[in-house]
Amino acid sequence: MAEPRLLDDDLVSQARGGDAEARNELVRRHRAAAYRFALQLTGNREDAADVTQEAMIRFLDTLQRFEDGRPVLPWLFRIVRNKSYDLGRRQKVRRAESLDELLEKGMPAPVQRDGDPAARLERRDLRRRVWSALGRLPDKQREILVLREYQDLSYGEIGSVLGVPTGTVMSRLHRARRALRDLLAEPDRREGRVR
Amino acid sequence: MNEYRKTPFDESLFSGYLDGELTQAEEQKVRLHLEDDPEARALVAELRAIRQAARSTRLAAPADEEWREAPRSGASRFLRRSGWLLAIGWAVAVLGFALWGAATSPESWWERALVAGAVGGPLLLFSSVLLDRLKVMKTDRYGRVRR
Repeated sequence: MAEPRLLDDDLVSQARGGDAEARNELVRRHRAAAYRFALQLTGNREDAADVTQEAMIRFLDTLQRFEDGRPVLPWLFRIVRNKSYDLGRRQKVRRAESLDELLEKGMPAPVQRDGDPAARLERRDLRRRVWSALGRLPDKQREILVLREYQDLSYGEIGSVLGVPTGTVMSRLHRARRALRDLLAEPDRREGRVR
Repeated sequence: MNEYRKTPFDESLFSGYLDGELTQAEEQKVRLHLEDDPEARALVAELRAIRQAARSTRLAAPADEEWREAPRSGASRFLRRSGWLLAIGWAVAVLGFALWGAATSPESWWERALVAGAVGGPLLLFSSVLLDRLKVMKTDRYGRVRR
């Protein structure tokens, strides 16, 4: 019979006590989420891999300061966010890859399963345009949209990553959504397209 | 005019509404506003479509076996880059010296060819490794992670 999966809390306690296997398990468990978040912030795989590596080192180094009972992901995302900005300051220019190169292969999203090819194409096109517009937003707006739309964090968790109250999360998120929508509307207006 | 219209409507409530993060009273307030305002309905519909597009995007992440080594530190990467720069500098210096030596040497042509072969062979091999390495850096997604 397989051993029951340990909770993050237990792993964190064991890792703090010097258990190497617990440290490895924490890394294995959360590395993909950290990588995806880094990818959404940096826009390219190479930088995302670098940021993830550095963030995981920092995460393990700071486990002693981690508060018991708190979820691991917001803490880790906070580190990823800081590391991404450090990298952004060094590089100055954001090198974004196209969405098609970054998508999970062989795993269509649930909304693609309907039978209308035109609607499917339209949604795929919208996904590409959203990704591209996301890269043109200011960092603060991009990060909050990524945390909510792509990482599915609650307002409380987003507040914990960004260090702001929940009310601020809602207003900042709304400003970011409007800015994204305005960016998406620009080419539509120029080309006379109707969504 | 409805009662709720007496105070200015906080548009950020639309985001809370889409995300299911409002209290019952706030949600009711948004519903009433949407019933009354077609522009607001259009805005919420647009925001919902964008939200669904983003949420249905699944980005790939490296598989577990592609993260074989423990994370490499910044110091390690700095040393590796410095090593490559030194090696390239060494190769350029040796090649320049060899060319200058071959051009000015009083030895016979075959002696110069022997020296050129001894220097040129390893340099060509080094260049081949360097070119492969540069090519891999461009195309290998997780090259830095694996090594």
